[in-house]
Amino acid sequence: MFFWRRAKQKKPRGLTSVTASLDTNIDWFKQDIFANDDTIVYRRFRTGEPQSRACVLIFAEHMVKHEFLSEHIVRAMMQGPLPNGLHRDDLIDYITERIIHSDAVTVTGSFTKLAELITGGRGVLLIDGCDLGIAVDAQGWAKRQVAEPPSENVVRGPRQGFTEDLGGNVALVQRRITNPAFKTKFLTVGTQSNTKVAVLYVDSVASPALVEEVLDRIQKIDIDAVIDSGYIQELIQDSPYSPMPTIGHTERPDVVAGKILEGRVAVLVDGSPFALTMPYLFVEAFQSNEDYYNHWVTATFHRIVRYISFFITTSTPALYLALISYHPQLIPTNLVISIAASRQDVPFPGIVEVVAMGLVFEILREGGVRLPRPVGQAISIVGAIVLGDAAVSASLVSAPMIIVVGITAVAGFVISTLYDTAVLIRLLLVLTSSILGLYGYILGVMAIVIHLASMKSFGVPYLTSMTEFLGQNVKDAMVRVPWWRMTLRPRYLAAQDRKRLQSTAGSKDR
Amino acid sequence: MMRRLVWAIILICPLLLLCGCWDYTEIEILDFVLGAGLDQVEPDYLVVTEMIKTSGSAQEAQVETVVLTTHGRSLSSAARALSSPAGRDVFWSHAQVFLVSEEVARGGILSAIEYAVRSHHMRSTVAMFVTRDCTVEEVFKSKPPFNDTVSEHLGVLIDLHAVVSNFYPQQVWEFTSDLTAQGISGTLPTIQLVHEQGEKVPIVKGTAVFKKDRMVGWLDGEESALFSLLKGKFQRDHFVMETRTSEGSFPITYQIMGNKVDIKPVVKGERPRMNIKISLQLSVVEVGHGAKISFQNEQEVKNIEEQIAHTFNRRTKDLIEKLQLEYNSDILGFGQLLRRKEPDIWRRYSEDWDSFFPLLDVEVEVKCTIAFTGLSSQPIIVRD
Repeated sequence: MFFWRRAKQKKPRGLTSVTASLDTNIDWFKQDIFANDDTIVYRRFRTGEPQSRACVLIFAEHMVKHEFLSEHIVRAMMQGPLPNGLHRDDLIDYITERIIHSDAVTVTGSFTKLAELITGGRGVLLIDGCDLGIAVDAQGWAKRQVAEPPSENVVRGPRQGFTEDLGGNVALVQRRITNPAFKTKFLTVGTQSNTKVAVLYVDSVASPALVEEVLDRIQKIDIDAVIDSGYIQELIQDSPYSPMPTIGHTERPDVVAGKILEGRVAVLVDGSPFALTMPYLFVEAFQSNEDYYNHWVTATFHRIVRYISFFITTSTPALYLALISYHPQLIPTNLVISIAASRQDVPFPGIVEVVAMGLVFEILREGGVRLPRPVGQAISIVGAIVLGDAAVSASLVSAPMIIVVGITAVAGFVISTLYDTAVLIRLLLVLTSSILGLYGYILGVMAIVIHLASMKSFGVPYLTSMTEFLGQNVKDAMVRVPWWRMTLRPRYLAAQDRKRLQSTAGSKDR
Repeated sequence: MMRRLVWAIILICPLLLLCGCWDYTEIEILDFVLGAGLDQVEPDYLVVTEMIKTSGSAQEAQVETVVLTTHGRSLSSAARALSSPAGRDVFWSHAQVFLVSEEVARGGILSAIEYAVRSHHMRSTVAMFVTRDCTVEEVFKSKPPFNDTVSEHLGVLIDLHAVVSNFYPQQVWEFTSDLTAQGISGTLPTIQLVHEQGEKVPIVKGTAVFKKDRMVGWLDGEESALFSLLKGKFQRDHFVMETRTSEGSFPITYQIMGNKVDIKPVVKGERPRMNIKISLQLSVVEVGHGAKISFQNEQEVKNIEEQIAHTFNRRTKDLIEKLQLEYNSDILGFGQLLRRKEPDIWRRYSEDWDSFFPLLDVEVEVKCTIAFTGLSSQPIIVRD
């Protein structure tokens, strides 16, 4: 059919704006803009008598709500007779004001703009004799239900998580901050994907310079497509060569709300359930949203557990290696004897054992994560039996090594955001301590601390509030002080409006 | 930039392989010395060591001890010579005890402790002992009933000092500092072998008294307990004393609950005197022979307290007299106290402390209170 038409009709060339001829417009869409695209539907109909006019509704078949288009555009247009003598703007005004029942309508005469609106899931209405198109919001596609985010479980706290729908995600945050100071700015990123990106902040709290910086960095992105917020994260973060995260990500609207209320800026990307928050500091890896919902004593305890776990997961193999290879005198006598006994028949030096076991664990974990759940369980069973038992009986590794790998792995999962970073830190420390013992371990730690201290995230030093001993910043770092003591927002973020708790006088009574 | 960084990494990596790890060892090729001793110095050094031998699979590790004896022209050369019979690198840092035979102690202990102090392999916290009526080798070859190794057994006994106090524990650094300080002589606890169910078992009891670097004599267990008390060591020792009461004379067992000793030099006129104040808090542990003593009777308690104070007073004086006249060894450190409190007086006597110490007047004052009587303050009175 197309071949026949193409041969017969002369293809109009170089059209940029809608013409008064309906057929020309349709042909332009069919043969140029949406050539070879079978998802685009052209619904032709006529308005009611006496002033009957030919119309066409163009939309992408699977991106719209069909009932809405049939009911509120096609049906409304067919029934409502158009008054005489209306031309162009008057006609468009009459239709948008009196006929179409829709809350969001865009009027434009540009073909490229209309095409974008159609691929974005809107219905475009063209009327014969009028060189403007009306785009009506009618997006409707398969959406995931709001559910508890699988990557961040809580025992106590809201159970809502972001989905892949940008508008819904923004609403989830907005519902928590019902205040005109809550601002959302939409940007479009990706020359091919035209992905919508939302920048969320609280106007009265966030520093304008920070908001400006975030918007500026996102606008400077020149990439063909943005599939997930991870793209944005990597393209705009500070210290991009460092494995340390300088932009946070979360699947939880309550976390985003909390962070932007402290003066941070959040970025949501259409199609991604992961919101980005910035600036992101080292201490945030050890904070959990549940810290703020639970009693402050237990929250502080759990936070300290997290710090200890981070130390364990990064340092245990390195310290074990340093002690057994360089400083056996530092191990208690009974323990050193039992370690020596268990290493009796192991053919490999300590460093080989540590690296190999660490690698095996990472392989098992990676396998378990990517596989479907039932198969993943099989992996963990195999891992537990092979590693825990068989390898020791076969004298391939020593029993204490299993304990070291086990405690390292378990502690690593406590701080899930830093898991991958911790693996790299662990490897670095294992290498340095295998060469220089405890001295090497200390040098490695110093190198890491120097690196952390040299980093910044959106102008805020990365180690802020971990290098202080007094002041408001410390109240939410190593400990979580009770809410009535956290009267001020962090200075490094919310410089313009620091007061979080109004009645500081009353707080002293409690 | 990127290219340079990659080159830098490629160039640095082989450097890591070039540097040797001179200190690197594998833990399983070490032989851990748990205890060592010196049996003789002349004609050559005879070093006895107790080492740990590990065997078995990785999961069921078995541990047994090996006692090796080596000869050498010095302690360190004998210790080095151990590696050959041991077949491994001998690791000294886990040694817990260092034993010296009576012969070596009497001949001059410096030959034994010089290496222990100088070498970084042996810790300065190693506990030192003198063997009495047995050799070091015999001690290490004896079989303690519960602990796997003799060294561990001795280590546990030291930890139990508060319960069984009839010795005064010494680590190498404490002993050395006593040897080198002015106005104090050193002591070491004594190891003896007793027979227990057909096996020889080492126990720690008594004290070897030194004069300068040579051992001059012994204190028995009871004297050692008193010596330890006078040194101000925390004690929970039991002792049995025949006590006269209104009902007659009975053996009563007491436990020391609190001990405070204050030794002060007093200078009146020309000659300094030592004033020892002992205050004891006691608990009655056991009353023997069914004695019907009520500790609610104030007069009775006072009477008993006075008797105990008197006994302690006499025993303290006896001990000091023995030290003064028999050994002429100032192990309680009277000279050191004098030097600290009255440096002017000390300067007068420091040259000639050896001849002055036996003549030193010592006054002892004991205050004793029975603070606890266990769960009952009344005797068990049997009726039909």
